Amino acid sequence: MTQFSDERGAELRELFFETAQELLQSLNEEALKLEKHPGDAEIVRSIRRTVHTLKGDAAACGYRELSESAHELEDALAVETASSHTGLAEVAFTAADIFGSMLNAYRRRAKLPSAEPLRKMIQQLGKASSSEKGGKKKAAKTSAAKAEWTEYEKLEIQNALKQGKRVYHIKAEIDPRCAMPIAARQLLLNAVGAVGQVVAVRPETDSPANTDRLELLLASPLSMEKVTAKCRIPTVIARAGVEPIKGKVSKKSAASENKPKEPNGISSEPIPKNTFTSAAEEYESRENLHLGAVAENILRVDAERIDNVLNLVGELIIGKSMLQQAFQELTKHSPKESMRGRVADAMAFQSRVLNDLQRSVMKIRMVPVEQLFRRFPRMVRDVAKQGGKEVDLIISGQDTDLDKSLLDAIAEPLTHLVRNAVGHGIENAAERARLGKPTRGTIRLDAYHQGNQVIVEIKDDGSGIDSQKVKSKALEKKIVSVDEAERLSEANIIALVFRPGFSTADEITELAGRGVGLDVVQSVLHRLKGTVEIETHPGQGTTFRLKLPLTLAIIKALLFRVEGRLYAIPLNAVAEIARAKESDLHQVDNYEVLQLRNQVLPLVRLGRPSAQPAQAAGKIFVLVITVSESKLGLIVEALEGEEELVIKALDDQTVSTDLVSGASILGDGRVVLILNLPAIVERYANSRPGQIGAVASGILLSHADRSQTHRPVVEAQP
Amino acid sequence: MNRELHIVGFQLGHETYGVPITSLHEIVRVPEITAVPDAPDYIEGVINLRGKIVSVIDLRKRFGQKKVARARRHRILVVEHKGRLSGLIVDSASEVLKIPEGDVEPAPQVFREGRLNCVTGLGKYKGRLIVLLDMAKLLEYSGPNQALADVEERQPATNARGAAAK
Repeated sequence: MTQFSDERGAELRELFFETAQELLQSLNEEALKLEKHPGDAEIVRSIRRTVHTLKGDAAACGYRELSESAHELEDALAVETASSHTGLAEVAFTAADIFGSMLNAYRRRAKLPSAEPLRKMIQQLGKASSSEKGGKKKAAKTSAAKAEWTEYEKLEIQNALKQGKRVYHIKAEIDPRCAMPIAARQLLLNAVGAVGQVVAVRPETDSPANTDRLELLLASPLSMEKVTAKCRIPTVIARAGVEPIKGKVSKKSAASENKPKEPNGISSEPIPKNTFTSAAEEYESRENLHLGAVAENILRVDAERIDNVLNLVGELIIGKSMLQQAFQELTKHSPKESMRGRVADAMAFQSRVLNDLQRSVMKIRMVPVEQLFRRFPRMVRDVAKQGGKEVDLIISGQDTDLDKSLLDAIAEPLTHLVRNAVGHGIENAAERARLGKPTRGTIRLDAYHQGNQVIVEIKDDGSGIDSQKVKSKALEKKIVSVDEAERLSEANIIALVFRPGFSTADEITELAGRGVGLDVVQSVLHRLKGTVEIETHPGQGTTFRLKLPLTLAIIKALLFRVEGRLYAIPLNAVAEIARAKESDLHQVDNYEVLQLRNQVLPLVRLGRPSAQPAQAAGKIFVLVITVSESKLGLIVEALEGEEELVIKALDDQTVSTDLVSGASILGDGRVVLILNLPAIVERYANSRPGQIGAVASGILLSHADRSQTHRPVVEAQP
Repeated sequence: MNRELHIVGFQLGHETYGVPITSLHEIVRVPEITAVPDAPDYIEGVINLRGKIVSVIDLRKRFGQKKVARARRHRILVVEHKGRLSGLIVDSASEVLKIPEGDVEPAPQVFREGRLNCVTGLGKYKGRLIVLLDMAKLLEYSGPNQALADVEERQPATNARGAAAK
């Protein structure tokens, strides 16, 4: 029993951390708004509301320090409501940062950071406002303290009733066996909060009163039975009574009379007089916040459970291809079988449903990129301020859906790119004025679907990347040799910024372009089977484009053979398939190339080079692939067709290789390795055959193959 | 308090080795093995174990013994270590041995280095010596000697082809 409630407690804390993050996010957003419109009382109120909620939640979970700091800030903000203060936004930012680091500390059970800077700022705020106001506030507090339901709450009840909602008076008794009564209380609040709006709670969230009884007022569109059902939480709530409140306030206050007296009175929210007038509109804005949650009936589900379902769908897809294979064999064996048509129909139906199932499950994992984008306005502001720049951030496409795991994975690279764009992309105001640009720089963040991919774009209107500087830097860092550098195209030179070790922190300032840790960005994208592209126009700005697959779980793939072994690559990377004879291939500069129509296509030989001249006339297949805008041909021996593959991770500890991104099982039980194309291209680009006549090849050879082949290769040297 | 160790014995060349029965998942015939490029030499590849992809280690190579042609009696011991499945190719596997704890001697110093670093002890069983293996070291450890041997082997190939250069 105790273990169960412990579990509840952990779940609750997890929930708190999640909602707290959201609260901090909205605190940041509101602070940004306040910075733009200083002295807007509505924004200040909404900040105060956010801080208040955070305070309550933190207290419920027993995080005293956070709750206290939030309380101090809330008080300061209440004082501040009437007189606008320019420093208020700054205080809110500091508060968001400090609260954030406190949350982190709680989560890791680490030492708490000091809230001293915040306290100082709050004190300054307090000094700025007159002491008279402080007195008033206190008076308001004490006068309201004796009321059962405060004026404000009564007003809200009436508002809710007017809008046709039902208001319920819920009395709940917390199970005495429940180990965490404070948490239980929050659990109940969350449960009813999901179906309506909690207007009032007795005892108050932060009051030290006995907490095994709980009364609350709930405005909800649901029927009484449903609300009662919501309140029944086994092992946590022992008894819950729900009674509807109808009609006039007078009747309701009568109803509230029979509730037990609180031991030390009720400390109401310190509401200054002037907010009363706007209580109705405050209610409205609050309602807007809550209505979405009520209407959509959202479930919070552990991501692992969805992954399990997705895995099962994967198994089903393997099953489907098993069936198809068996059916093909059946067709071969007995072509006159009369049942064939019916089986084929049933299979077609099954595969259609399976596709729908797969898509629906995948959709569960999708979240809008807004979850990620919303953290950037604050960051852009901070970085711009540090660098003494003026930067506007324009966000669009935030409704675009992306797999949650992908979203989490690109958070860091994207942050990096945005930071770079502000830090190094946008010039300072004076420089911009000199160049005849508007002094405020603009960064655009956009996300959209394109075919089977999601594209996230970061575009700045800054100085762009100077290819000459990149080149000289690359030469200096010995990333490329002099004659190599001469041959590189403009685009290839820019792409050098993705090379590891291209730039380190102390060189950022010298270099007009960027390059700090861009190799990290690229490696993350490769791991996700995505790509990153740069488009830059000197003097006009730079665009980074992250291309991501829709999902990580299932891909359409092309199967082929190299050295008799089966491999697969994602079908969307294949531009075309060409046939050629060995004799059609030419050698240029140690690289094999194929002339395909009017283009010269560099080739990657995945297997062994064919040494015997007898094979020269043999036919081969060339898969033309596009990776990061570069075209390459893969030489393969035979094609095996196209198939939907469920990606299974390779045991990364023992068989770790960047060449293979995963494996899959075919209908007949064979294992096929899925190649990681960006890694192959990189391996190819980095391979510099030292000797003339020795072409780059054999990327896919295993260790055993190598030891067999290496002798003939050595002998082939002149 | 004379506890017994339950050991699954298997043959590799002339020797009998043993792994704790608790770490054994199952024993299967050797199916088609898919080679993985770039993997260490003792990794034979991956197999499909009823829908799961399991990497397979050739114990002969792991211990630096000569490779032999695959025979019908060869088996794959699927062992579980920290929730992960791995396969070990062995010459044959048959018996479950019960060895009293007192009959197990610590591994001689010479075994603690090189490719046999995963030996935890030597068990005596009916006049035979059973080499007891430690799963953790066998599956996780690739020590300096191992790495060094790999580099030395790979060096000429790298020069010749340059394909492995990174």
